[in-house]
Amino acid sequence: MSELLSSLLQDARVWQGHQHRKTTQPAESTGYQVLDNQLGGLGWPRGALSECLLDTCGIGELHLVLPLMQRVSQEGKTIFWLNPPHTPYAPALAREGVSLDHLVMINTRDQDDFLWTLENCLRSPVTGLVLAWPGRLASRDIRRLQLASEAGGNVCVLFRSRREVDQNSPAALRLELVPGEHQDLQVNIIKRRGSWPGQLCSLALGHRADRAIKESSQVVQGPWSGVDR
Amino acid sequence: MLWLYLHFPHLLLDHIRRHQTSTGALAIVDGAGHFVVQACPTARNLGIETGMRLKTALGLAPDLNIMRADPKQEAWLLEDQARWLYHYAAHITLAPPDGIWAEVSSLQKLYGGLPAIWQTVEQALTERQLNAWVAIGHTPSAARLLAHTGKGECTADKGHILNAVGKLPLLTAGFDKKSSTRLQRLGLNTLGEVFALPAAELARRLSPELLVIVQKIQGTRADPKAPWQPPHTFRQRADFLQEVEHSQGLLFSLQRILAELEEDLCWRQQDTDTLRLVLQHRHEEPTRLRIRTTGPEHRAEVFLKLIRLKLDQHPLRAPVTGLILAVKRFTGREAPIGQDLLGETQDLNEAWHTLISRLQARLGEQALKQLAPREDHRPECAWSASDVRKPGKPQKSGSGQLPHRPLWLLKGPRPLLQTPIAWHSGPERISGGWWDGQRVHRDYYIAQLPGGELAWVFRDVQDGWFIHGWFG
Repeated sequence: MSELLSSLLQDARVWQGHQHRKTTQPAESTGYQVLDNQLGGLGWPRGALSECLLDTCGIGELHLVLPLMQRVSQEGKTIFWLNPPHTPYAPALAREGVSLDHLVMINTRDQDDFLWTLENCLRSPVTGLVLAWPGRLASRDIRRLQLASEAGGNVCVLFRSRREVDQNSPAALRLELVPGEHQDLQVNIIKRRGSWPGQLCSLALGHRADRAIKESSQVVQGPWSGVDR
Repeated sequence: MLWLYLHFPHLLLDHIRRHQTSTGALAIVDGAGHFVVQACPTARNLGIETGMRLKTALGLAPDLNIMRADPKQEAWLLEDQARWLYHYAAHITLAPPDGIWAEVSSLQKLYGGLPAIWQTVEQALTERQLNAWVAIGHTPSAARLLAHTGKGECTADKGHILNAVGKLPLLTAGFDKKSSTRLQRLGLNTLGEVFALPAAELARRLSPELLVIVQKIQGTRADPKAPWQPPHTFRQRADFLQEVEHSQGLLFSLQRILAELEEDLCWRQQDTDTLRLVLQHRHEEPTRLRIRTTGPEHRAEVFLKLIRLKLDQHPLRAPVTGLILAVKRFTGREAPIGQDLLGETQDLNEAWHTLISRLQARLGEQALKQLAPREDHRPECAWSASDVRKPGKPQKSGSGQLPHRPLWLLKGPRPLLQTPIAWHSGPERISGGWWDGQRVHRDYYIAQLPGGELAWVFRDVQDGWFIHGWFG
């Protein structure tokens, strides 16, 4: 009996508020030390869903998963992008060192297809990472995905609207993303396995607006109003 | 030389019966639809006989299933039989409409004697639920004559064979009508009696053609048979007596056809990645479906799963009267790699193909894309989407030379409606496209919008401000 209990504790399935124990969940480092520290030194949980809740694109949400993307694609595993809101820009991804051969973009017509596809991707051993933009999801659908995710053991990040913050979700990790003042990204941990939520950290993502282009600002800024096409 | 002849007395009947789950009385009628040509055992029990008028037959069995004989289809069917027989014998010749020769004397050593060959063929026939009358003869014609009687024997003895042929009545020998009448008037009734006549007299008194036929049966004249070559495609069809309304009903016959495809592919040592499925309807154009696997495949169960998915996605437009499965693309088979001795490590390569094939079968091939950068200065042209391919060897691209770009590109530029709160870099002038008429003349900046997002904005030559990407 005690063996059963200790294995439950070890898996962090029984939540002990007063104890901050290192859990042995399988996880992938996020590539940001600050965030990893807040997540108990682990990172993105494997075999579970992670949710990123954000208002709008362009606040650095892809840079959050970029280190993982680089690692996964170099390991030769496939990265699936499901229903991305815009086109993932190939030259930028190639520049960041993501191998495009291992990247598959999928667009589905309806919600049924979406869930079916996501479930299949999650269950497959070839998948390394799934990035999905589900739109509205019912709680029971998330549970279904969570089970598929447990079967596959790979990382799945769902990008959802910040309106869903209050909806309870079976996802193992929920992060609220808010843009900061200086091109940084404020990450608010709403839920995580094995410890208290509520940590807040800030990731500096200043390199998104690359300074390398500064040199080109010497180009003469011509008044073009008179130019005929 | 020894020849084996397979005579299929009711090939069409067998073909239809093996694709049916229910067995009712079934008859094949001639092209004009007046006479019964073939009747199944159930029908024969009801009193229906070959050569009976259709009206009489319908009187005997009002719920008789009727199928019209089609010479083209019979030719196809015969070729199907030749295809499997080719697995056992190299020199095969078709004898349309209902027979096949196989040269067997060269096979005796391989199989270990004539009885073994005979048994192999009989077994193959039983496996395929086919009725055939088999006979062996020392000439093609003798084998054929013996097979038509249905009393072929497994023997290599020439004297025995000639003896058996000699006992056959004249009418079965295939002489023209005039000659057989004359022979009968001479008082000759069996082939043996004709054999006894001197050859020169036979040619002089009757006709040289008749002598040729007789000599070909006896073996004193050469009767070369051109060997048949198997086609480089696979094609199987199933015909349904009752129209099939649900895709579930198709799976039964598909299962059998796919099993044959697997066998065929194994025998060729080849794989395929495209199946063509044609569903025929009574009044409408046939439905054509293409089932693709992403990688070479030969297993029937994998094909069946994909077809099931495809049929779920494409409900039948109309009841199906027949289906054809064809394979035209073949690829050589590669030895599986990366499997350890006990098969414990999962074959990732295979898993990848399975997953992508599944997704493509349900979502359509257009739904899955792979991205690649393209050499163009214009941002909207600097990438391309292509069909999914299995990643090969990683290529080292000079990613250092690529300019700084946002991770999101909008599907089209969107007007900039808010005033940015901060400017980070720019301008980067991009001007090009004069060569293909899609002229671009823009200055790009990186700007932070009031919502906190970093946008890639540009100012067009006509003084408009647009958002073209997000730094996600």
